[in-house]
Amino acid sequence: MTTEYENKEHTAVADTDDVVLEVSDLSVTFPSDDGPLPAVRQVSYKVRRGEALGIVGESGSGKSVTSMAIMGLLPRNARVEGSARLLGQEIIGLNDKQISEVRGQRIAMIFQDPLTSLNPVYTIGYQIAEAVLAHRKVGKKVAMARALELLEIVGIPSPEQRLRQYPHELSGGMRQRVVIAIAMANDPDVIIADEPTTALDVTVQAQVLDALQRAREETGAALVLITHDLGVVAGQVDRVGVMYAGRIVEMGSVEEVFYRPRMPYALGLLGSLPRLDGDRGDRLTPILGAPPSLRDLPGGCGFAPRCPMARERCHEEEPRLLLIENGPQEGEATAHTAACHFSEELVDAEASDLFRSTSVDTEGLGSVAEMEAAEAHVAEAREGYLGELGAEADREVAAKAEPEVLLTATDLVKHFPIRSKGLMRRRVGEVQAVSGISLDLRERETLALVGESGCGKSTTARLLLNLIKLTSGEVSYMGQPLQDLSDRRMRPLRKDLQLVFQDPFASLDPRMTVSDIIAEPMRIHGSGHRDARKRVSELLELVGLNPEHGSRYPHEFSGGQRQRIGVARALSLNPRVLVLDEPVSALDVSIQAGVINLLEDLQDELGLSYLFVSHDLSVVKHIADRVAVMYLGKMVETATTDQLFSAPAHPYTQALISAIPLPDPVKERTRERITVTGDIPSPANPPSGCRFRTRCPKFANELSDAERARCVEEPPELKDRGTGHRDACHYSKAIELI
Amino acid sequence: MLVYTMRRILGALPVLVLASILTFVMIDVTGDPLADIRMAQPPPTEEVLQQAEERLYLDRSMPERYWLWVTGIGGNGDIGLLQGEFGPSTQGPHYDIGAAIAERLWTTLRLVGAAMIFALGLAIITGVVSALRQYSKLDYTLTFVGFLALALPTFWFAGIMQAAGVKFNQLVGDQVFATIGDGRFRAEGAPLWDQFLNAFAHMALPTIVLMLISFASWSRYQRTSMLEVMNSDYVRLARAKGLRNHTVIRRHALRTALIPLTTVVAIGVAGVIDGAILTEVVFQWRGLGDFFITAVDNNDSFALMGWLLLSGTIVILANLVADLLYAVLDPRIRYE
Repeated sequence: MTTEYENKEHTAVADTDDVVLEVSDLSVTFPSDDGPLPAVRQVSYKVRRGEALGIVGESGSGKSVTSMAIMGLLPRNARVEGSARLLGQEIIGLNDKQISEVRGQRIAMIFQDPLTSLNPVYTIGYQIAEAVLAHRKVGKKVAMARALELLEIVGIPSPEQRLRQYPHELSGGMRQRVVIAIAMANDPDVIIADEPTTALDVTVQAQVLDALQRAREETGAALVLITHDLGVVAGQVDRVGVMYAGRIVEMGSVEEVFYRPRMPYALGLLGSLPRLDGDRGDRLTPILGAPPSLRDLPGGCGFAPRCPMARERCHEEEPRLLLIENGPQEGEATAHTAACHFSEELVDAEASDLFRSTSVDTEGLGSVAEMEAAEAHVAEAREGYLGELGAEADREVAAKAEPEVLLTATDLVKHFPIRSKGLMRRRVGEVQAVSGISLDLRERETLALVGESGCGKSTTARLLLNLIKLTSGEVSYMGQPLQDLSDRRMRPLRKDLQLVFQDPFASLDPRMTVSDIIAEPMRIHGSGHRDARKRVSELLELVGLNPEHGSRYPHEFSGGQRQRIGVARALSLNPRVLVLDEPVSALDVSIQAGVINLLEDLQDELGLSYLFVSHDLSVVKHIADRVAVMYLGKMVETATTDQLFSAPAHPYTQALISAIPLPDPVKERTRERITVTGDIPSPANPPSGCRFRTRCPKFANELSDAERARCVEEPPELKDRGTGHRDACHYSKAIELI
Repeated sequence: MLVYTMRRILGALPVLVLASILTFVMIDVTGDPLADIRMAQPPPTEEVLQQAEERLYLDRSMPERYWLWVTGIGGNGDIGLLQGEFGPSTQGPHYDIGAAIAERLWTTLRLVGAAMIFALGLAIITGVVSALRQYSKLDYTLTFVGFLALALPTFWFAGIMQAAGVKFNQLVGDQVFATIGDGRFRAEGAPLWDQFLNAFAHMALPTIVLMLISFASWSRYQRTSMLEVMNSDYVRLARAKGLRNHTVIRRHALRTALIPLTTVVAIGVAGVIDGAILTEVVFQWRGLGDFFITAVDNNDSFALMGWLLLSGTIVILANLVADLLYAVLDPRIRYE
């Protein structure tokens, strides 16, 4: 039996009085030169009092536009149809006076980027008080007192002082808490949070999510949480809606959607996610193709071109969002709906049953058959390539011998001078970006360098490649010290040491064709100009791209494809070491999975060594053999991936692992957490002794005063706790967290 | 803030010194102040030339002359900027450069000031309106007017305006616009209203001419800056707080969109002074523009140096004011 969820009568009957926000058939169209763009199509959902609803989807799925439409914040040229009722009042199409009475008072919003959400020219206190004054007839004093109270609730230390400060004097996490304070100023009934933690570091994300939780408890507001992060959704919301190409394609309780997804897209998203609670050997399963362009949506199901189960009906008829059979039924708050003609076939399906773990670029492909053909082609190309290299033989030999250490760093130190702003540009201090890092990278191994922003991981990577000058220490490649080499003598070694950048948009010259970009390193090194063209097409095949696309320009490719081009360029000189600086952090998950698979394949086949710099522990767990955790320029823990994730010993590593939300509602809600407070101190003035002590939960809660004195005075050394697992904590104790 | 102010003022001083050196050297190496006398028929006697050279300090070396020009130490009491003397003129021993500049300064400053104030006011209004009504007919019209104004050469436009003023006077049969002269001394002692009418009649046309170019570029700038701010997250957050549209625009958008304009206007001062020379010549004002032209005609080195240093000082001062204003407007600069 199938009930039509979209049927108006049903929605009207079900639970009337406790619904605070009811969105029905909301559509948003933007006019453009090429005709109208349907960004949101017939979105309907209800949010009950105090409930938390998650909206997930990849970039361009329409999740932000939906909430902007509800708030009336879209540009004038957007056409909004349908209805959104807040406590029974229609709020679509209100005039300025009417909507300004609703905004901030009954419905409030939190935006993604805390660095730009606050006006730089007004104090924090003024901006919070302004929200109070907009809706209450109270004096400025009262409003300021309320602002102070709000800052206390969201957990900002020394709030009185903060009131008089300007936004630029606060860190990103603090600023987001100020925005939360503004949102809760008038006890709204609904708070919409649009990617509230995406721009923040994980440990700060945990703090901000806490503040959001407190804001909800304080105001009793319902929450609409928009995010691309399935982990955040799993931990924070009661129900979740999955958006794709402007529609909600699946909706239900988090448990239902995460454990029993009934729409292939939701299943695919979960399958393409590297997981902290998964096994390292599991291959990721990227979703075939790319999200459709809104300009020309497919006739039937929007997901059909990417769906491995798509049949004729899927291409002809758009499936409606229907209650699924044998699931929780409507009326219960947990009704599970999915927009798929064949959702019943997905009972007990795993992502790996449906999606293939492939490393070819699937974005340009139209069907599973095409993908298989491409895979076969790539496999052939790789074989030919390896044959030419003679790598096969090398591999055999290398596999037997003890892996050789390629890159060694000893006591790397890098300080950047801080200069005064005056005419003299006096040196007034220094940023201690890297303070004594030692590591080694062995053949065919992936060493991950992890840490939050500002910990010095990217600087370390650049030091290892001798791209910036060391302050002190030593880097050597295969026994040869690099730090004193002139540029000319360094050049031949650069062939072996290549770099892949984070931003796939900024790292490719927009005025060069892809072939020229990939051939450039060969040209510089004066090698292979005879058959450069042939080699470029081999390289394109190697990274899973169509070699015929070499004559195109970078802007014609998607982010994932560009990152593949970046990898091809790095490989053009047959390097032995690749330094990958956040190579997948700019990509959507379904695309990211393909690039990760590619990196894994290339390592296997070409015998590469990776230095993988990342802030994303889930990806690191998936790809790395060994991990080094950095904090404020120091290495705090290093171990094999298995050791580190099964028994982290340093409190910072523990906090970092705790802070990563697991895309599993039950695990995420029941797991033990080690949380840290505050922000990362400035590397210009790091704390004495152990640099982590100012935020350390162990220091704050467990240690005696005598023990603390040691943390303050004596910088902990990186010590071996047996079997190569080293950490830099005086009182480390390994615990199991996942 | 005090430290910031002090630092900015101290920073302006070396710029001023550098400007004086540049001014001096550039004028000193170009042209001979006595060229006219030398070429005179019948040729002047050696004695006359020597006297003239001595009077104009041409018998001393260049560094000495610079030192003399700035300090006046070792001169005849008619030179030394620090003593308020601008130096001897080629236009005769009785011509006092300082007095001439002082007499004309107010005339020119009045024109430059009025033009800048009107240009700024109009630029802000049209820039904001254009941004708020982006891609509307009004926006397109204002954009067109802006580019037209940018494209008009000042001297040509001044001539047209002058002719139009004359035509207008003929049409209404009364002298609404005075198209020649600055009229400063015409209404002295007259009732206030008459003084105002007189000033308006003389100033209206030159002010319009002079303001047009600055207005055009500033309004374009204000439009861009306003558009950027209107699309910013903090303006969205201000709306999301429940502030009314006009409050959002005034308090959050306009306030921040004005910050970058201060720098642009300060840099624009030099352009307005340039324009003032042309405008004054066309409308036959006895202002600093006319002073400048006369000085060039007479190879009057010290007069030119005085003029250049004065306009340089005005530009430096304008930038100093802009820097200080910037700090008042933007707390991020204040606490640097």
